[in-house]
Amino acid sequence: MSVQDIYDAVVAFDIEKVVALVKVEVEKGTNVSDILSDGLIGAMDEVGQRYTEGEFFVPEMLMAAKAMKAGLEVLKPLLSQGESTKKGTIIIGTVKGDLHDIGKNLVSMMMEGAGFEVIDLGVDVDTEKFLATAKERNADIICMSALLTTTMPFMEVTVKAIREQGLNLKTMVGGAPVSEDFATKIGADGWSPDAPGAVETARRLTAK
Amino acid sequence: MEFTKLFTQTQVERVHEASLGILENVGMLVRNEKALIIFAENGCQVDMETKMVKFPREVVEKARQTFIPTYTFTAQDPKFDVTMPGNRPIVVTGSSAPNVIDPKTGEERRATSQDIANIAYLINELPGFDVFSISTLADDAPEGQFSMSRFYPALKNCKKPVRSNTPNMEDLKIVLELGALIAGSEEAYRKRPFINHHYCPVVSPLTFDVESTEAVIYLTEQGLPVYGTIVPNAGMTSPLSLMGTLTLGNAEFLGLATLMQMIRPGAPLIYAVLSTVADMRTGAYAPGAIETGMMQMAHTEMARFYNVPSGGYIGLTNAHSNDAQSGYETGMNTTGALLAGADLFNMGGLLGSLMAFDFGKAVIDNEIALMLKRMKKGYEYSEENLCLDLIAKIGPGGSYMDTDHTMKNMRSIAVLPKIATREMRRRWEDQGKPDAYSRAMKEANKILSKPNKSRFTEELDAKVRGHFSGLVAGDVDWSL
Repeated sequence: MSVQDIYDAVVAFDIEKVVALVKVEVEKGTNVSDILSDGLIGAMDEVGQRYTEGEFFVPEMLMAAKAMKAGLEVLKPLLSQGESTKKGTIIIGTVKGDLHDIGKNLVSMMMEGAGFEVIDLGVDVDTEKFLATAKERNADIICMSALLTTTMPFMEVTVKAIREQGLNLKTMVGGAPVSEDFATKIGADGWSPDAPGAVETARRLTAK
Repeated sequence: MEFTKLFTQTQVERVHEASLGILENVGMLVRNEKALIIFAENGCQVDMETKMVKFPREVVEKARQTFIPTYTFTAQDPKFDVTMPGNRPIVVTGSSAPNVIDPKTGEERRATSQDIANIAYLINELPGFDVFSISTLADDAPEGQFSMSRFYPALKNCKKPVRSNTPNMEDLKIVLELGALIAGSEEAYRKRPFINHHYCPVVSPLTFDVESTEAVIYLTEQGLPVYGTIVPNAGMTSPLSLMGTLTLGNAEFLGLATLMQMIRPGAPLIYAVLSTVADMRTGAYAPGAIETGMMQMAHTEMARFYNVPSGGYIGLTNAHSNDAQSGYETGMNTTGALLAGADLFNMGGLLGSLMAFDFGKAVIDNEIALMLKRMKKGYEYSEENLCLDLIAKIGPGGSYMDTDHTMKNMRSIAVLPKIATREMRRRWEDQGKPDAYSRAMKEANKILSKPNKSRFTEELDAKVRGHFSGLVAGDVDWSL
């Protein structure tokens, strides 16, 4: 039994096994940050890699992220502030008027899988809610998703509000109709065509 | 023409029964308050806290009794009015793409109100298209004129029925104000409502949204034309089996149809879908996939069971240019749907799974539309058409070239394509080996270089511009 087994169980999307193995390692006294970074997060990096190479399909990536998250839940109470390896706090939701959340949910899972703290506001989120939550949780990035082309303008409204209030917050936008050009035009800090790319973008935006 | 049947009568009835079971036992999440009240007042079990609505089967069956078999798209010019099923297939442009492929540079960019004016004129002139669903958004829209910057250039340059959506009630009411202004009065507009509203109020699985549902309720109450498209995506928002997605989508259609019949019994419906199977390798949306055509065929069979017009977004492509993929995806899926008896084809002009309008694609799709219409027209079976006297007269070894019969039929029996080439190779080489796309762009250029005779009169335009201040120009402006 080792941290490598946890890694393997995440890559095999075995939720129960991940939880059991994390518990065993904790009882053995293995360093909690090692379990987190070498076991859980390390495994998700490989999962992302395999997805990019076309070996893993989306549902497999999702199941791996679920397994990773289940392991993380076991570790959470043990991560003291000093030990916390949180890479940053992310607020995520679909924009006002849009209930299409499949892509957003996937990004949310992948972000958690990569070690971010993710506050998922769900669907139909207006600017006030995004900003209030971001302030309250001292967030690093607001991520907005839209599928309908007619709801995309609400992304710009939120980005503008952040600028106007002079908040130290990054913004990321995504969803099928959202292009890099659109992201640039509305002044968003980040954009990605897919979920693994969103994780990469978030890593870049939060790099100190 | 006998339509393709995928299922036995027993299987069709089972899908219907199963859909009733879903509505009765699983129910739908209804996020719109007005819809919750309408459902509660009409016999559904409604939990106002959780917003869950369960539909007893007799409620849905009651709604079914007031379904009507026809749906009319009204046009500014009555000669362009079309009614399903009589005029089927009704061919409509794809709609609300954020981008356009710039006709000069070939690069994708954000679409503008001027693109909409050009597209509206093109669609007005292409005979394969029956309805202009506003193809793109307008990135140059002044603040507060998101919808006006789309509907004004569309209505100004196209006399065929115009179809589109609005993002909220405020925009919807401004658009209706524009309609009344063009018609001369609200009363005149209500007699011939030439703006045809379309929404996707149901978000799969089994959820009514807020804004689109609000618009559908309002328009149905007002007796104005509106219909919804059901859009399940197998593997993502519906089961990853064709049968499961058919049944879920069918339940969602019944849920929406029930709402509309509760508001106004006899409100016209279209059983419209864009049922797809996601590409599970990446989660990519795949409206061009062959399964989209298969799903349309099955939904159309269910629509025939309900005796309502059917169709949807069929003939879309994932291709990013007018290549072979673009052609075979549009061609195969629309052919399947036509053979199954679909009435409405939202198919024209878009590339990259609804992301960008392309002028060449619209012209090519016009030709596909003409082929579909030819196929639907079919064999015209009759004793006369067997041509037995003529066959006897010409006899073995003769020629039919110089007969009156041939002269009479030579301009009508076959589609005479403008885009497909029938040249010998050498001639084609001499012309510089033009492909379908370059021939299509040439045709678009030919049409758009002439002045638009269907444009608003100066008088009407002055009236509209006087009423709404700060409007975009909305005029055709084309050069290659």
